[in-house]
Amino acid sequence: MLRRLGLVGAALVPLGLIATLAPATALAADVAPQTAVAVDTGKITVGPGQAALIALGYYLSNSPWLFGLAYFTLFRPLVAGFFVGLILGDPAQGTLIGAAINVPYLGFISAGGSYPSDVPFAGWVGTTIALAGGLDPASAVAVAVPLGLLGILIFYGRMAVDSIFAHWADYFAEKGDITGVALMNVVPSQVFLFVISFVPVFALAWQGPDLVADWLNQTPLWFSNGLVIAGGILPALGIALTMRFIFRGSAIPYFFLGFILFTFTNGSMSLVVIAAIGLALAYLHLAFTGAGDPVAASAVPASGRKPESKPAAEPKVRLRRGDLLRSWATWTFFSHANYNYERLQGTGFAHAMTPIIRRLYTTPEEIQAALKRHLVFFNTEPNFGNVIHGTVIAMEEQRANGAAIDDDAINSVKSGLMGPLAGIGDSLSQSTIAPILLALGIGIAGGTASGGTIPTLAPGTTGNPLGAIVYIALVSVLIVSIGYVAWMQGYLRGRAFVTDLLRSGAIDRVIVGAGVLGNLVLGALAAKFVTVYLAPTVDVAGAKLNIQASILDPVFPGALALGVVMLTWWLLRRTSPLIVLALLLAFSIASALPLFGPGQRNAGDYSYEACTSTLLHPWSPCGEPPAPEAP
Amino acid sequence: MSLQLVRIDDRLIHGQVVAVWLRTLSAKRIVIADDATARDEFLREVLTLAAPHGVPVEVLEVVEAAVRLIELAGVPEPVMVLVRSPRTVLRLRRAGVPIAVVDLGGLGAGPGRKRLHKTISLSPAELEELRELERLGTRVEIQIVADDRPIPLRDLDQGN
Repeated sequence: MLRRLGLVGAALVPLGLIATLAPATALAADVAPQTAVAVDTGKITVGPGQAALIALGYYLSNSPWLFGLAYFTLFRPLVAGFFVGLILGDPAQGTLIGAAINVPYLGFISAGGSYPSDVPFAGWVGTTIALAGGLDPASAVAVAVPLGLLGILIFYGRMAVDSIFAHWADYFAEKGDITGVALMNVVPSQVFLFVISFVPVFALAWQGPDLVADWLNQTPLWFSNGLVIAGGILPALGIALTMRFIFRGSAIPYFFLGFILFTFTNGSMSLVVIAAIGLALAYLHLAFTGAGDPVAASAVPASGRKPESKPAAEPKVRLRRGDLLRSWATWTFFSHANYNYERLQGTGFAHAMTPIIRRLYTTPEEIQAALKRHLVFFNTEPNFGNVIHGTVIAMEEQRANGAAIDDDAINSVKSGLMGPLAGIGDSLSQSTIAPILLALGIGIAGGTASGGTIPTLAPGTTGNPLGAIVYIALVSVLIVSIGYVAWMQGYLRGRAFVTDLLRSGAIDRVIVGAGVLGNLVLGALAAKFVTVYLAPTVDVAGAKLNIQASILDPVFPGALALGVVMLTWWLLRRTSPLIVLALLLAFSIASALPLFGPGQRNAGDYSYEACTSTLLHPWSPCGEPPAPEAP
Repeated sequence: MSLQLVRIDDRLIHGQVVAVWLRTLSAKRIVIADDATARDEFLREVLTLAAPHGVPVEVLEVVEAAVRLIELAGVPEPVMVLVRSPRTVLRLRRAGVPIAVVDLGGLGAGPGRKRLHKTISLSPAELEELRELERLGTRVEIQIVADDRPIPLRDLDQGN
């Protein structure tokens, strides 16, 4: 408490300044970081207006209003942290906390209505509580991850209730009411989502920081130390989850190379430079391994199909470019507006077809049939999978002009392609593009510590909002481009586009090349964010030597952190991420238990108190205990 | 027993399958048993090319698939089997394919189907086919992604 009183005046002083002042209050320069654990950097009071903005941000991250990009931007804690920081007046620290919270979710993937954790809940609420409650980024991670599990309830509620609105859309389809179907895809689901998102997040953002900070103040010190230790270990989970996608085959060595590049340059090599090296290596890797070469003609039987033939007669009705664009934009905005267990993107597909139906069909019977045809179960990756929409639109156009294309033909394209294209699309967007760009953004956001030490999550590190901004720009351009090209090529070339693209090996090349780059960056990120500090010391010639600092690290810096990552990866192959998460949390907190006596010489002397951990320390190095003060 | 996973999923190969299941099982081969798909040259090619590099995909009619799977069940290489309907599993089982567990992974809503659990909907006939499989000694479980805990069908099927 004395320590906190001493820092009350520093509430609004940038963290870098705190770090330079801290040694003055500490006992020795090398234990300085220990003066700042859990709750110390001063609080920000969250006003109701700010809480409302944060709650709105959380709603938007699951909403359709950001041109389909919410899932790749506001959804991610790195971005959420930046915006929470802006709202609360400290974007640098917000970005840093968001980046830290994002690391455990680096390998997050939601496919086919599965949803392992409410990532934006952890991002928006976690950053708010940490920033306003004055938690350091490491404790923020340990607080945010359980929040993410709590938030899943919101997703489940939405997936179940939205099924009802699909039936409302059926009702309008039966009447041939195009606008009705479009509205049913958006209005009821979004009103419902807004209510179940806004209310809990508003309450938590407004009142949560004080509650959590007070609660942390009442817990024993070893427990809050345990949270900080967990904050250093939980990033291993996100890295290991991402490794499940990219850590394989001939790309494996690049992970270790990335780790070593970072540790052996003492963290002075920026993630951007490492990514540039990764690009060069990816090029060389592809050139020398020949991965992704075009599939030999003999390996795959020629499909013998030509691009969908146009009817010979002069068409009665033609789609205009504006119709295609409107349809594409509708899908890009609203594909997941009414996502539900029963039909997943079914109503979104029908909604996207409304501009097409308006142009092609005039009789109520035709309109009714077309709406019903497209209101069925549908689910694919909403960007690369757009090939299906383009193809289906071309088929609808031919049908309207009298070609013999029945419902079965259209349904079989949709149901046959939605799976495989989701497989390819998810491999590209969710498990390659997003984690690699996030890793880059998180790396930039992690900033550098004052005093030239290795940038970690330690107090004194300043965040860099540029990390969030660079990530948003890159991911948005890539995702929208993929969606647009797939849509238009699907329309122009139909199924030939799919086979040509797959046969060319281009997608394999992208995935293999991105795997090389991704492993290198991921390795560096592991070195940057996974932090483990061993407590035990050995007596050597009368001096107490820390096993890690004096023996392990001089041989292989970061060996312990690498060991934790590999162990987590190994565990993930055997059990579920939730169990691994629980294990890591329990282990971290238990490792801080002061089993070997209080070891406390000065009451309230935190820097020494923190060093009573049995196994792991919150920060390193933990110096020699101070001499007792003269009475 | 190397038929690592027999999964009923009306989308066959898709994101969950490629990104999560294949990695978790380290399956080295995918066999798809579905008459309509096997007869569609285009879909066969897309499915073959949609799987990750180095994982061969065989798209076979159910009768051929039964012969092939009996053969594959005897070799150590882990295989993932994908089908679209409970009926196919029943046909494979009756043809002598050793299937210890069948996984309901994705059965979308449609006419006549009733929602059982999350993204799993079944028609009464399909439910009956699954019960028949259980009588034949095949466990039926719902596990949408590899990270979920499998739920035995029996826990959800209240006999109505």
